[in-house]
Amino acid sequence: MRGFWPIFKRELFAFFVTPLAYVLILAFVFWQGLHFYLLVRSFAQATEASIDQGPVQAFFGGDVFYYLPLILICPAITMRLFAEERRAGTIETLLTTPVGTAGVVLAKFCAAMVAYIAMWAPTVLYIVVMRKAGDLDYRVVATSYLGVFGIGAQYIAIGTMMSAVARSQLVALILSTVLILGFFLLGLGEFVLDEGATRELCAYVSVWSQMGELSKGIVDLRRITLDATLVALPLYTTTRLVDAWRWG
Amino acid sequence: MTTAIAVEHLVKRYGVHAAVNDVSFEVQRGEVVGFLGPNGAGKSTTLRILVGFLGPTSGSARIEGHDVQADPHAAKAALGYMPEAVPLYGEMRVAEYLRFRAELKGVGRAARTAAIGRALELARVVDVKDTLIDHLSKGYRQRVGLADALVSNPRVLVLDEPTAGMDPNQIRDVRDLIKSLGGEQTVLLSTHILPEVEASCGRVVVIDKGRLVAEGTPSELGALRRPPRLELVLRGAPARGIIAASPFELVSDHDEGDARRFVLGTPKKDEDAAIEALVSELVGAGVGVRSVERGKASLEEVFASLTHAHEPEPAAEPEGGEAA
Ligand SMILES: Nc1ncnc2c1ncn2[C@@H]1O[C@H](COP(=O)(O)OP(=O)(O)OP(=O)(O)O)[C@@H](O)[C@H]1O
Ligand SMILES: [Mg+2]
Repeated sequence: MRGFWPIFKRELFAFFVTPLAYVLILAFVFWQGLHFYLLVRSFAQATEASIDQGPVQAFFGGDVFYYLPLILICPAITMRLFAEERRAGTIETLLTTPVGTAGVVLAKFCAAMVAYIAMWAPTVLYIVVMRKAGDLDYRVVATSYLGVFGIGAQYIAIGTMMSAVARSQLVALILSTVLILGFFLLGLGEFVLDEGATRELCAYVSVWSQMGELSKGIVDLRRITLDATLVALPLYTTTRLVDAWRWG
Repeated sequence: MTTAIAVEHLVKRYGVHAAVNDVSFEVQRGEVVGFLGPNGAGKSTTLRILVGFLGPTSGSARIEGHDVQADPHAAKAALGYMPEAVPLYGEMRVAEYLRFRAELKGVGRAARTAAIGRALELARVVDVKDTLIDHLSKGYRQRVGLADALVSNPRVLVLDEPTAGMDPNQIRDVRDLIKSLGGEQTVLLSTHILPEVEASCGRVVVIDKGRLVAEGTPSELGALRRPPRLELVLRGAPARGIIAASPFELVSDHDEGDARRFVLGTPKKDEDAAIEALVSELVGAGVGVRSVERGKASLEEVFASLTHAHEPEPAAEPEGGEAA
């Protein structure tokens, strides 16, 4: 883990110093604001609020408005991580200091996670607004954010891996978007497939139903295990990729 | 243990092409060694293996006794490396960058500011310490790369073409710096510029097409190929006859104003005595002696002959008595 701190700090700095960061943050905040506005409007018009579809549920994973930015923004946060170091050649100075590969990969992943969390931070404001409008179950809010964190961690881990696969940021962006989208669509198989093993599998990996459960306050240990695996696996693969560059 | 860098039978293949082919050499502590070769000779590849950035196809490399493959942490901790292209993070300021690098290399928090100050000073980048790296000129980037290599005060410095892209003044500064580091630190620097080697290195390792072709001090290498020359500018008819009778072999001669320039091959034995005898005989015969110069074959010549003409005679090892 040697080298974690300096690399983590530098990655954060490098992210927030680029104009891209602010474009992403602005787009994300705007998107969430729009989402929230539409939800509030539809709830205001509804004569009779359904019991299991409160505004919190709707905001976290109730519709595609929630998933789309996840699928698009995670790859944009991670595309730089390794691809840019390889393009600029700085990977050579980085890897010839006494740092461990695991330290490098984790530092980059964690910095991307912090950037991701920073993007979600403004949504806490909506929770405050919702609290004014009525009763709020804090357990549901907590588990919803747990979902935001867990799914984000998966997507960021995939993006980190793809940034180590591709030599250019653009290719890394495209590859990780495709992979994340494919994974997301696999989960949707739950809703379209007939009963059977495939559907079981789809339901198991479905982030949609995971989010559905979490936004109702249900925490399933199997899903947490899956999340952890889906974060660890791409990150482990990334360390192997970075080690393999020496034999290129 | 006094060996700082040991390279043993290093081979690096890309497909069937061997970029480095069975290269072995050692650098002792405190030495400044030049790693010389034409473009594509395999210098950068060798250095990258040495610093642990590339893995060798076979063979091994050790830094301060630590194998770069088996114990990369210890090897890298002893190392300051400046890659050929000097990659830097353009969005950082110079001092910021050095702070990051010092922390990465394990320079303690308390020692960091002093270490950065020293590196800025040595590489002469104090005046740009708050400049964005993206805004630096090529020569300054090069010097920031040098400051980075120096910041942890490493025992071993590996510099890949450190003066490429610098102006003559900067080059002189860097050569002086490198020379001043020798003794305390071990320096291995690659270059294809000969004056660089003659100016700052105590020893030279020459490679070409992935193979080691020669090794020795700059003057040893100079003696390697061409026998030394003696050049005389003489006025007077008897000169030619006296030279013909001397142990010197006439290589060429041509008119130079009212005098004549003779280029002689010196005898193998008692060169000094032979020169003294020749000059006194010439003077005694009334020949006007205007200039007597003992020439060394320039390293350029040696380099050209070593790296281009070595195919017909593959075993061009310096120990092989090439001077004969
Ligand atoms: N990644 C690679 N894949 C294939 N061949 C490579 C690779 N890297 C280097 N080579 C080849 O290996 C040989 C040695 O290259 P290297 O960069 O070590 O030369 P060099 O001595 O540093 O040259 P220069 O003076 O131009 O810097 C060259 O023929 C080069 O084409
Ligand atoms: Mg090179």
